[in-house]
Amino acid sequence: MTSVAGRTAAHEHERPTRSNWTARLRTRVGRTVPPGQLLPDRQPVYVNSWIYVFGALTLAALLIVLGTGAVLALGGPTWWHTSSTGHFVNSLHLWSTELFFAFMVIHLWGKFFMAAWRGRRALTWITGVIAFVGSIGTAFTGYLSQSNFDSQWISAQAKDGLNSVGIGAWFNVLDPGQMLMWHISLLPAAIGLLVVLHVILVRRHGVVPPIDAETTAENAAIAEDPGDGEASS
Amino acid sequence: MAGHYVHWGVIQISVTNLVIILAMLVVFALAIAVPFRHGDEDQDRP
Repeated sequence: MTSVAGRTAAHEHERPTRSNWTARLRTRVGRTVPPGQLLPDRQPVYVNSWIYVFGALTLAALLIVLGTGAVLALGGPTWWHTSSTGHFVNSLHLWSTELFFAFMVIHLWGKFFMAAWRGRRALTWITGVIAFVGSIGTAFTGYLSQSNFDSQWISAQAKDGLNSVGIGAWFNVLDPGQMLMWHISLLPAAIGLLVVLHVILVRRHGVVPPIDAETTAENAAIAEDPGDGEASS
Repeated sequence: MAGHYVHWGVIQISVTNLVIILAMLVVFALAIAVPFRHGDEDQDRP
């Protein structure tokens, strides 16, 4: 039965596929974040603390940074110099960035003292670190995109350091067009991808438990079932 | 450059940045110390 009509009538399209990249991707996505873990509405009791709020606050600030940046892109790089609306949007962009960094650093402090890389969460920690460093680079190119004497002064200071490490020919801070493209295109895309990866990893592995809670749980498990400990000793 | 700076050995920092960092440390301490009341009855127990 090889005709199109025959294969359709036989519901060939409903049989399990042998292997193609769509099926492999679907399987991989399903394994990465099991159903119900992508947007959970309940969390373990140890998440009941303000320190766990700062990751979400960082994400909220980032969304405002991206939104106000998109509006600034509509007006162009000099819009905020000539329009009170542009100036207001630029101020929203600046202050949401300030809050983004403040929230992100407090989130970092919290996770550092929780040793949040425990329990196969190393990649979560690493993507967070790279997103943090990339955000600093994105903010620096933002300083260079102000189209004023401040950005000119900062670029003149930055060029010597970047030239001394040999990347000035490819990353030329004296070229405001190149810096603007890095700021509004390449770096936000990289940060966005890293943040998505970071959040997916958090959803996949769950929020790290406190160190004492983990120890308590281990002790409770040993107390309930000491067989393993006796067998290995 | 206008502004007040704190000089402490090799460390030199503007008063503005120092105040912001201290404020962040206060927020960090409060985030740990202040109880989070919402949803106490609706959380899973480990």
